[in-house]
Amino acid sequence: MNFEAVIGLEIHVQQKTKSKMFSSAPNGFSRDPNTQVAPLDMAFPGTMPVVNKQAVINAIRVANALHMTIDHTLYFDRKNYFYSDLPKGFQITQQARPIGKNGYVYVEVPGGKKRIGIERIHMEEDTCKQEHFMDYTLMDYNRAGVPLCEIVSLPEISNGTEAREYAEAIRNIVVYTGTSDGKMEEGSLRCDTNVSIRPYGQKEFGTKVEIKNINSFKNIELAIDYEIARQSRLLLSGEKVRQETRRWDEGSGKTVLMRVKTDAVDYKYFCEPNIPPIHLSDDFVQNAIDTCPELYDAKKERYLAMGLSRSDAEIILSDPKMAAYFEAGVPFVQNAKDLANYLIVEVNTYLNKEGVAIQDFALSPKTLGEIITGQEKDGLSHKQCVDILNYVLANSVSPKEAKEALHIVAQVSDSNVILKFVTDVLDQNPKSIADYKAGNQRVLGFLVGQVMKASHGKVNPAEVSKTLQEEIKKR
Amino acid sequence: MKTITKEVLQDAANRLLFTMSDEQYDTLMGEFKILTKQMAIIGEIPDLGNYEPMTFPFDCTTSYLREDVPVAPLTREEALKNAGNKQDGQIKLPKVVG
Repeated sequence: MNFEAVIGLEIHVQQKTKSKMFSSAPNGFSRDPNTQVAPLDMAFPGTMPVVNKQAVINAIRVANALHMTIDHTLYFDRKNYFYSDLPKGFQITQQARPIGKNGYVYVEVPGGKKRIGIERIHMEEDTCKQEHFMDYTLMDYNRAGVPLCEIVSLPEISNGTEAREYAEAIRNIVVYTGTSDGKMEEGSLRCDTNVSIRPYGQKEFGTKVEIKNINSFKNIELAIDYEIARQSRLLLSGEKVRQETRRWDEGSGKTVLMRVKTDAVDYKYFCEPNIPPIHLSDDFVQNAIDTCPELYDAKKERYLAMGLSRSDAEIILSDPKMAAYFEAGVPFVQNAKDLANYLIVEVNTYLNKEGVAIQDFALSPKTLGEIITGQEKDGLSHKQCVDILNYVLANSVSPKEAKEALHIVAQVSDSNVILKFVTDVLDQNPKSIADYKAGNQRVLGFLVGQVMKASHGKVNPAEVSKTLQEEIKKR
Repeated sequence: MKTITKEVLQDAANRLLFTMSDEQYDTLMGEFKILTKQMAIIGEIPDLGNYEPMTFPFDCTTSYLREDVPVAPLTREEALKNAGNKQDGQIKLPKVVG
């Protein structure tokens, strides 16, 4: 029997606002425990929630990027549950009236694109961070009240790859709208997945299993594909899939049972009486959309039009700071593709080796552009430019000073000069000519090397290779 | 409407991780009896299903949103003043998950 999987994703995105969702406490990451807390975050009596404007603007921008219908009146609800991560005893969320409804996003699938529907996006507050030890738990309320957007897909995803693509598309949107860092490893983007399978052709959904604790985009794919295989095995062996919550165990590459769901949790939602309905004017909503930074897809299209390959554009865009550096450097080079190549290979290698982020890279985009134009305009070889780059980085000098210190001069492409070097080398290496004619192609590399050596690297190696082949034919 | 019985209350108390005495259950049952009676009176009003929820019965719609400007938070000492048990600047609780 063949099964089809039905998958839905719930993604929580931590917003990088300056203050929290309903209190004015700073929204800081990795600070000392319990130092970013306002009275409201700890539910001290008499405190009242006040909605953060920037969090609303961010939610509008994400909703618009996801082609959603935006509700111009904000309502909030209380989701009641009794647990120490939420001292109020309830989470303020938007159950009845999410700020955005009925959206979609396209993901790449083999042979084209697939549209995945999105049910809703709503705003809510994060819970506190708990650290569990053997017989006690420590509570840090710095995270309590941090603004979240929850984005809930329709169950229209069919496999692990699509789920990963979907989550990455959401990540790209929240990162480039400026809403979030979107880092799964740091918890600023968290993904819960619901997976069920059913025989092809069956209309009713199978029993749903929830997977939590997925900490990377790759693991979304692995966890879902594992779960589909596990459920298929159960059904094929005549067993039933239980409704349960499982977690992804990265070490074993398996989903592991956390708890069996006996009944649905009743959160007793009701309207948050301390926040009156908030009307968002048309101008406010439109302004939030109009002032939204350029989105990932638009940037990617622009980079492709500049001549970058799809994969190069994606590598540059995988880090918004790298994309910003790239865009700042484009005016200083003749060809944007050359800049992309340097960033992806030479600069990335340097950053990884030194453990430095691109925003802390010592070279300005203008200086890097100056080095690259040495190759584009001034006849320097790629290797010479890389030498200049490394020298500049190691000695904090200008590209001009590095060029002088390294005695670098432009390569010669003059055919008469090259011919003279080639003739001399061929005269000195008759055996190599014979070998080449006998079919040993590798000899050509040796001869090019000899010419480069004789010329102290001043001649253009591509021209040398071409001239060598022509001259060998004549002998 | 769900009938409030002692079993329902016991189940709720169990889920909320506390125990109650028989006297406390009797008090609570008495209070729910009054509440249920009041709800039944409201339930007799015809066409209730056709009314919008009166969550905010008077128009109190606002357009106010707080500017995203952080203010000085509580000091850690102030934040943890009411906590009975502390460790490493955090509130220490018995572990309730497996």
